[in-house]
Order: sequence, then C-alpha cells, then structure tokens
Amino acid sequence: MSDTTLDLTYLASVVTRCAGVPTSASALADDPDFNDLGVDSLGLLGIVTELENQLQVTLPEGAEKAERPSQLIDFVINRSVRRS
Amino acid sequence: MTSVITGIGMLAATGIGTEALWEAVREGRPGIKQISRFDATGYGGGLGGEITEFDAATWVESRVLVQTDLWTHLALAATKMALDDARLDPAATDDPYAVGVTTSASSGGNIFGQREIHSLWSQGPRHVGPYQSIAWFYAACTGQMSIAHGAKGPCGVIATEAAGGLDALAHSRRVIRRGTPAMITGGTEAPLGPYALVCQLAGGLLSRTAQLADAYAPFTTRACGYVPGEGGAVLVLEDSQAARQRDATAIAEISGWGAAFAGRVPAGAHDHAGWAKTTPALARAIRAALADARIDATDISMVFADGVGIPHADAAEAAALHAALGAHAASVPVALPKAGFGRLHAGSATIDTALAALALRDGVVPPAPGINDPDPALGLRLVTGEARTVQGRHALVVSRGTGGFASALVLSRTT
Repeated sequence: MSDTTLDLTYLASVVTRCAGVPTSASALADDPDFNDLGVDSLGLLGIVTELENQLQVTLPEGAEKAERPSQLIDFVINRSVRRS
Repeated sequence: MTSVITGIGMLAATGIGTEALWEAVREGRPGIKQISRFDATGYGGGLGGEITEFDAATWVESRVLVQTDLWTHLALAATKMALDDARLDPAATDDPYAVGVTTSASSGGNIFGQREIHSLWSQGPRHVGPYQSIAWFYAACTGQMSIAHGAKGPCGVIATEAAGGLDALAHSRRVIRRGTPAMITGGTEAPLGPYALVCQLAGGLLSRTAQLADAYAPFTTRACGYVPGEGGAVLVLEDSQAARQRDATAIAEISGWGAAFAGRVPAGAHDHAGWAKTTPALARAIRAALADARIDATDISMVFADGVGIPHADAAEAAALHAALGAHAASVPVALPKAGFGRLHAGSATIDTALAALALRDGVVPPAPGINDPDPALGLRLVTGEARTVQGRHALVVSRGTGGFASALVLSRTT
C-alpha cells in the first residue's frame, strides 16, 4: 500500500506525451477504453514506465494490461510499491 | 505485363512536394548549407541538405509522431503525396491485399535511436521508451506506411544503401508481376544527426570542408567527398492494365533493371582498387538493365548518375558508363541533381528515378547545381548551368551503394 496519488490532469499529460494521444482530465474522467482513446499496447507500456519513473514506484505485472484509466489508477494507488 | 509509375511524392532541401522540388531542380537551385538543427562544427564540414521547413506534425498524426523517427515522418509525407498524385486509396479498394509496400532503408531511425541510447547510458534501461523497438529498425517506414494507408499486400524492405531505391522498385515490379496490382515503393533518409554523421565520417567519404562551393562537387577535379541530405521519394507503381482500368495516369514505365555486386568495397576514399572494382559491377548492372528493357545503349537519352564526389569513385563510375554505353557515353546528357540537395542514401535512387520520370515527361534534363567545371578526363557530358531540352524515350538511372552494391534502372515514356 502506498500513499501515491494520481490526478487525472497529470495522467492526461502523461498519456499525451508518451502515447502521442492528445487527451484531457475530463476525457479520462469518462473512463474510456484505452483502445478507444487510441492508446495501443506499446503506448500503455510507455505510460506505465513513465509513471513508475516519475512517481518512483514499481507497478505490479498486469499494469500494462490495464484496459481503462480507472484500472491503471487503481494499480498506482493501491498496488504499487514505493521504490527505495 | 508492364509496371508503370502512377504517382510521385518527394521532398529534399530545395523543395517539399513534387512541383516545388522539380522546379528547384530544373533551375539548378543549390540547397546545401550549414546544418542548423544542432551545432555541427567538427562533424566533417558541418554541412547538409537540411529540409528546414519540414513540419512533421502537418503530415503525421501525433500518435504516430511519438513512435517514429524523422526518417519515417519524411516517408509518410512522401507517401501521402504519392497516393494523392496517383488518386489511389489502398483502404478503399475491394481487395485488402491489392496494395503492398517495399522501401529502401539505410541508417534507419538513427536520431530516435541516439536519443534512446543517450537515455540508456545517462539514466538507465528503465528510461528507454518502448517505441525504440519499432522506430529504429530498417522496416519501420514500410510498416508505418502500410498501417497508415491500409496497404495489406506483400511488404518488404531492401537494404542495399544507395542502390536500394532501384532495387526496391525492381522488387515492387516483381511483386506486381506475381499478381499484386499496386505497390508503394521508395526510400527516405534522415542522416544529419550527430550519430549518423559520426558513422559517415568513419566511412571516410564525407566531405570535410565547410566551403559551400566545394563541399560536394562530383565529377570535377575539386571533388573531395559528398554532403549528406535528408528527404527522399515515394512512388506508386502499378500494373499498367490495372492503372488503365481505373483511369490512372501512367507517368513512366520501369522497363529494365539490373544489379551486381562488386565485393565489399570500397575501404574508404583512397581505396583506388576498391573503387575500381565497382566499374565492372556497375557496367554489368547497366547492360543487364538495357537487356531487360530490350533497348540499345543509343536509345538512352539521359543518364542520372550516382555522383559520389570522390575522385576514384567518379572515375570508376565514368569508366562503367563508357564500358556499358560505348561511344554513346561521351554524348548522352548526364544529370546530377543531387549536387543541389546532397546524397540521400536510401532516398537517393528513388528521387533520381522520380526526377528522371519528370525529365522524360517534360523533355528537359536538369543542370548539376554549383558545377561549372566538369572534369574533361571523365569524358562525360554533364549538364551544367541551365537545363537542357532533350526529347527522348528512355532514361538510365545508376546508383552504387556503399559496401559494393551497383544497380541500374531503365525508365521509359509510355506515350
């Protein structure tokens, strides 16, 4: 359990930068399927790695298979391990 | 069964788009200058054929932009131009496999790769992005072009350096003969980043002077190396019957091709023996292309030359032209448009082919920019100063790839 927070504005900036898919906090709030957003599997891998690097956490296996933002956020907030 | 060019897309330092670039080439406009993208002092002469006005975002959607190198952005731009020119939409045809893609590749996504290598060594493996796996490797352009336009037909990539453009065209023609109605083919290069320049410096053929006038002067006694350029061309090649059926305009026919290998040469600028080995190889390729096209040397009305810009290399090329074309080599007009925008490696031969097609269409051979003093010892008739009016049916394009590749292509008017 970690005390890492992840707000949608920040996540949107990561999605835009890493996957090249321009998006916003409000678009992510609708919790769309990543596929529908236009984020492919490599894009998601890049997003997960960027979150790990920026938030200094390790996400468990499966995070890169998250289907929608809410699942990814759950991984980060509830299932990540802070890196020492 | 003939294969014809029905669409052209091209870009280089002196023009983005076929109309703009062809006009610049006809004028003999020089486009080589100091590389501006970074401080290139010390990287040879620091000169390049840079396409400073190229805005990738206007050609490539953002999702693809982040996962590709400039090399691929240039290819995607040229592909859009070529498909628009051909009025062909691969995704809209009845048969999803009706259009394939074959490109020529050389240094690949080197700018993207350098950035990722920098991250690897300065921050560690966790900081290498996932797109490194697809942005850098030689098939990236073929893949992205195919995906972007729904071209699910046979796809491939040829890596024979500067000869690749001709070999990719020939391979596309082969695929068309096997039953695929259309192929998107061509090549681009983005060789002006630090890593790419260092590789080229190690090859020993890069010009080391910063003097613009002398930096890339092939076929002259001033020749002291080449200047690299970015850009290239993409062509739509179609089975002539399929093209007729959809009322497409056939710009020119790929009527002949030949390729030969000289051995792993040259070892550098001063490897006289190595360069000399390219003579019989290139001559063999030219003869094979003429035979394939069922024409004689005297039927060739213009030659688009390789023009490496190294004295031994230029002499070897001239010798090959004399050997293969006989007496005709001394009088046939020779064009070196690349003196105006640099050597584009994987993009060179395709741009030369596109320009040859336009030269046949308009009946004019462009002048070699910045060259007023071709070496008479080469015994060739290089077009200089102004474009020359030339009415003719067939053009010869030749190209040697570093490492021993030698290819020749015959292009013919369809009307």
